[in-house]
Amino acid sequence: MGKIEWAMWANEQALASGLIYLTGGIVGVAGQLKGWEYAAFGIAAGVFVCLLEYPRSKRAKGTNYERTGQYCFTVCVKAFGPLTSNYYVRAFLHAALCVPGGFMLATVLGCVCLGMASLIYLSAAIHGEHWQPIMPKSEPAKSVTQSIKHPPQNPPPRPPAEMRRKRAEDLESAAYVNPLPVTANE
Amino acid sequence: MGLVLRSWAANEAAKHCAVVVWVAVSAWLFWRTFRLFSSGPQYYYLHQMLGLGLCISRASASVLNLNCSLVLLPMCRSILTVLRGTQQLNSRKARRLLDKSKTFHVVCGVSICVFSVVHVCAHLVNAVSFSVRYSDDFPALNVAQHRGQDPRILILTTVPGITGVILVLILFLMFTASSYSIRVCNYEIFWYTHNLFILFYIILMLHVVGGALKYQTNVDTHPPGCIRTNQTNSSSYTSSNQVPETQTKAELKEMPHITVCKEDAHFQHHFPQTWLWVTAPLCLYCAERLYRYIRGSAPVTVVSVIRHPCDVIELRMLKSGFKARPGQCPTQNKETFGIHIRVLGDWTECLSELLFPALNHSEILPIMHQRTYPKLYVDGPFGTPSEEVFNYEVSVCVAGGIGVTPFACVLHTLLGGWSQYRLRRLYVVWVCRELQCFYWFANLLCDLHHKLWEENRPDYLNIRLYLTNTQQLQSFSEERFRPLSSRLLIGRPRWKDIFGEIGQSNQHKKVGVFCCGPKSVSRELHKLCNSFSASGTVFEYNKESFS
Repeated sequence: MGKIEWAMWANEQALASGLIYLTGGIVGVAGQLKGWEYAAFGIAAGVFVCLLEYPRSKRAKGTNYERTGQYCFTVCVKAFGPLTSNYYVRAFLHAALCVPGGFMLATVLGCVCLGMASLIYLSAAIHGEHWQPIMPKSEPAKSVTQSIKHPPQNPPPRPPAEMRRKRAEDLESAAYVNPLPVTANE
Repeated sequence: MGLVLRSWAANEAAKHCAVVVWVAVSAWLFWRTFRLFSSGPQYYYLHQMLGLGLCISRASASVLNLNCSLVLLPMCRSILTVLRGTQQLNSRKARRLLDKSKTFHVVCGVSICVFSVVHVCAHLVNAVSFSVRYSDDFPALNVAQHRGQDPRILILTTVPGITGVILVLILFLMFTASSYSIRVCNYEIFWYTHNLFILFYIILMLHVVGGALKYQTNVDTHPPGCIRTNQTNSSSYTSSNQVPETQTKAELKEMPHITVCKEDAHFQHHFPQTWLWVTAPLCLYCAERLYRYIRGSAPVTVVSVIRHPCDVIELRMLKSGFKARPGQCPTQNKETFGIHIRVLGDWTECLSELLFPALNHSEILPIMHQRTYPKLYVDGPFGTPSEEVFNYEVSVCVAGGIGVTPFACVLHTLLGGWSQYRLRRLYVVWVCRELQCFYWFANLLCDLHHKLWEENRPDYLNIRLYLTNTQQLQSFSEERFRPLSSRLLIGRPRWKDIFGEIGQSNQHKKVGVFCCGPKSVSRELHKLCNSFSASGTVFEYNKESFS
């Protein structure tokens, strides 16, 4: 196997488990099931995980696949600096967030899935990966090239108008005299 | 308008019909199972205990059965290849449906995930119901050991519960590793997690053995809702909550005749229906994988390796017992077959390093050096949409970069003889970023062009080469590539104009469009094929992708 980027897979898993956690939390609170406080925590944790995981990281090598509209999330996540770019922190954060979900039936699945995502993040951190923001490529301002030199200031040299006008009786003198010598192509 | 509809129907109708049939069958299955469990007499007492959760969980389970059996069939690639080649599928519409087998597999997979979510939610509600509405009258129906038992214990200590949890975890792993970005960036993650499917099916077979839901066997002697002779109505329902009591009393009042139970209700597990659904496709798929493994277990001999410009290597190989047929990557020598690989990504880079060790700088390594080559195994051949190029009267092949390789096989076949095929005119549109890329098949293109000119068929082959790198003016400098240099255009192709031109020259004909290139190009071509309405020409879109 070549160089696998575990973080990409962990990111997909964490986003999916955030959604599962959120759904389980909503079911628990809406149904007023036993232990609905854990479900309420599940909703908050699910939303937080989704927001954190939405922006994809920049790949070490290769093309980046951004999620639609992820730029604003990237800016927010980038603002936290090493807290979000270090995957050890993320692994432990997800592990901590998933524990309360295990105490309530509706959020058990979210807990297990987030736990798995946390393990994959740990593996990514051990392999030395870290989160890098995908910033839009700023195009260098297209400067007008200097190939266009100063346009000519003066019109080309011409004899005065009455000399230029062709006279029918005197075709020889009406011929235009070239100021520069013209030689035939050899 | 009618022409646009005709174009759309030629391209999309069969696919959409197939999807409509699949949705209709799923919906019918869901509805039938739902009705059975909500109003079937043998489930009366169970329905009383569990309510809507029972019906939804069983209905979603039946749709899951259907999709778990269907999801394997599009992946039997050897069987599909055989089907594509036989006389059975004479209709081009049916063969074009086979092109969409991977899409159908994805659709079934997504529906498995969706219905699994529904099934799990319904069963979680059932677990709570089993615990809260513990039945003292019919102890055989219960899954809980006592009233009010923690539902989580119910899930973790029963066979269906624990297998269900494991199934969800495996499905979660498979689903999260199957997204497009993961497949493109880290194919190994997708491949190894997707091979967990065999574990999924084994555990699925165990999941249905548990038999938590039972049906009543003696409905004739104990009609549901009958009065037991040794107990009065009020005492038999004091232990459960008020709702069933009033319900049953109301039902008794409505019933035209009130019957007395001859005997107590007997309950029994279901036969695991999933086994009937899943066994046949699973055996078929396993047989197919075994066949592919045996066929691919003989290593191929690498005859020669050629390095081409722009990171492409050509591998010529020899496999005992395999002779490349026309259209199957043939080479000049009929015994060997060749492939062109673009080096992009870690696997191909590794292969490139193994084939061209750093010390050896020569371009072509002859056969006596083959002991330094890695051992290569080849799986295939498999059928592709590009086989249809010969079955249209007019075909347009659009290639982007290395995507020209399927069409190179077509050109090579035509070099051997063109009159026996239905194809009468072939347009080859090849778009590349660098001029050097065209040298991969420049010889082949020129040879075919000359051959057709010699045989007085100059209109058979229309080549258009597009160079999208507009940094400097480039052209072919060699004299023998003159046919190509006069057909080289700078800039991106204008598809609408090209299609308009092809439509004008081929009025009232069915033109096959074959695309193998980047997604943006294929999307645009697909849209154009669906909406083309000039000159009575219908463009049928066929796509081949490498991922």
